[in-house]
Amino acid sequence: MLRTIKPKNARVKRALDARLPKEIEDPRTAVFVKGTHTGEVLNGVMKDLMALKRPDAISFNKKNDVHPFDASSTSTASLEFWAGKNDASLFLVGQTTKKRPHGLTFVRMFDCRVLDMIEVGVEKYIPMADFKTPKSTPGHKPLMHFASELFDTHPRFIQLKSMLIDFFNGEEIESICLPGIGHVISISLAPTPASLNTATEFTTDATTVTSLPKVHLRTYTIKFLSSGTRIPRAELVPMGPSLDLVLRRHQPADAILLKEAMKRPKLKKTDVEKGLGKKRKNMEVDAMGDLRGQIHVGKQDLGKLQTRKMKGLKAKAGDDIASDEDGEDDEDGFMPRKKQRQS
Amino acid sequence: MDVSHILVTNSRQPDRSEKDDSVQLDPGLLAVTDLNTIDEESYNTDLEAHLLSLAQTGVQSLLGSLFSLPTTSSPDGPLAQLPPPIYQLPRAKPLPKPKAKTKWELFAAAKGIQKKTREKRVWDEEKQDWVNRWGRGGKNKEVEDQWITEVPMNADVDHDPRKAARDARKERVAKNDKQHLQNIARSQESSGPSSTREGRKQEINKTVAAARISTASMGKFDKQLEGEKKPRGVKRKFDPAEAPAEQEKQSSLALLSRMESDSKKMRKDPQADEKVLNVRKAVRFASKGKGGVALGRDVSGKKGKARTGRGKR
Repeated sequence: MLRTIKPKNARVKRALDARLPKEIEDPRTAVFVKGTHTGEVLNGVMKDLMALKRPDAISFNKKNDVHPFDASSTSTASLEFWAGKNDASLFLVGQTTKKRPHGLTFVRMFDCRVLDMIEVGVEKYIPMADFKTPKSTPGHKPLMHFASELFDTHPRFIQLKSMLIDFFNGEEIESICLPGIGHVISISLAPTPASLNTATEFTTDATTVTSLPKVHLRTYTIKFLSSGTRIPRAELVPMGPSLDLVLRRHQPADAILLKEAMKRPKLKKTDVEKGLGKKRKNMEVDAMGDLRGQIHVGKQDLGKLQTRKMKGLKAKAGDDIASDEDGEDDEDGFMPRKKQRQS
Repeated sequence: MDVSHILVTNSRQPDRSEKDDSVQLDPGLLAVTDLNTIDEESYNTDLEAHLLSLAQTGVQSLLGSLFSLPTTSSPDGPLAQLPPPIYQLPRAKPLPKPKAKTKWELFAAAKGIQKKTREKRVWDEEKQDWVNRWGRGGKNKEVEDQWITEVPMNADVDHDPRKAARDARKERVAKNDKQHLQNIARSQESSGPSSTREGRKQEINKTVAAARISTASMGKFDKQLEGEKKPRGVKRKFDPAEAPAEQEKQSSLALLSRMESDSKKMRKDPQADEKVLNVRKAVRFASKGKGGVALGRDVSGKKGKARTGRGKR
């Protein structure tokens, strides 16, 4: 645990307040950590994934002796320390060994504690630079596409889907600029093996890692073509990186911790109308449940105010002042009627 | 000829919409999940083309839902108003805790006192102007700053009315600071161990005991205060060797239930690789190292069928 810092000036206080828990959370920051050995492949993979994750990504330059799945090591403590220090809640640890070549471990944190982990092995990797095509703009939100029924049924793939959505696209946003949609991350699986299709107890129990289908991660840029309707036709161009992954070890989320993590803020109806915990000025919901707005108008220039039109008030030449009332009545068609009313 | 071509292309589109029940759209997270089974034939023939076509259909359906959302205009283009996400993701940090109430706030709530905002400036009758309530030229320094002050008849010789007023003001500030600190302490205490009077007492006793042996001589040559007792260590207590059977049963049951309960456990169910039975090892043992397939063959029919073709290897 980090020592508690008492803010000594306003800037530090602001920075500390920004790290406090919020009802509507900021995007998750990911830290890219190199293990003791990372080959050329893993370095490239992590660089490309970082390019996709930017600007919410931090890269550690040096190698670190972390083995997240090794319970006897102090890796969990290291991860928790880094999470607190960097205000990050996602880690991508790359480590290649003889037994598990090209291993990538996704670690998700909750409250600076490890929530769950997935290890995948990279089987095939084509770097982003090998595709001579336009790339996505950093900071633009990707679309996420998943294809296979296992993403809805198999616990390992449900976890993978949740992790990848959290990694690339976890932030809740209110609106999106439609022309800004530029790329898609597509994750699809190899055909489901027969052992996973037969839903007997024996097979679900003994799903070894080898029987799980491969995961294909592809990234495409989207080109909008006019289709004659409001919805444009999308043309996808491979952008890279493209990865073929196999699932390896995993650690499911602890039930108590997950329950805590899945808690939603209890938003009052008034808060929902006020903009989901975000401050919206000059709007309030009154006791009757009606939305009331407050409008600020500029100061009125009373000099230009149009009052009742009268000849006598008109700024004209001097002869106007000299003329008497009877003469005016004859000229103006409206005046006699008003006189009738007065009488 | 052209018409038939158009008809063919149009007839394909309803097929896609029929597929929609197996496509989970989540415009709030910009995600789409295609729950159709992967076609093995197209997967094996051309992988990249197969993946591209899958992504194409998925993205097209997601774009369909995104472009039909209500939009507002912005300088960069139309902004689609996204619905809240359907797929629930875990939070990165716990929910923010509500701010602890101060002692006054609790009292006011109990008494039904409405909060009044106190204006920073007050009207000064003499100056005929608004002046600060506190701070520079503040109203609370009025007595200190005025050039003449009435002195009571029975005042001391060295009575300084300006100093008296200043001391009184400083005292009020100090009192407020103290209350502020107490409020902070109370808000932190409500969850800590020293929330009760007894807990606080124990904590103080512990601190005193630690302080007494914190000198260079471990407290041996320290000056003893009057009425100070020798620090005593913890006395061990044992249950009587012979206890009634009922009591013994109860204590054992309590221990068992504590071991059974999940409240103290960090992880509820063991992980897959931590299971007691190592399936791979068990199969190897039962089949005498031949593997699961051979074991299954042996169990299903011991007619020597399993032996076919074995000898040639």
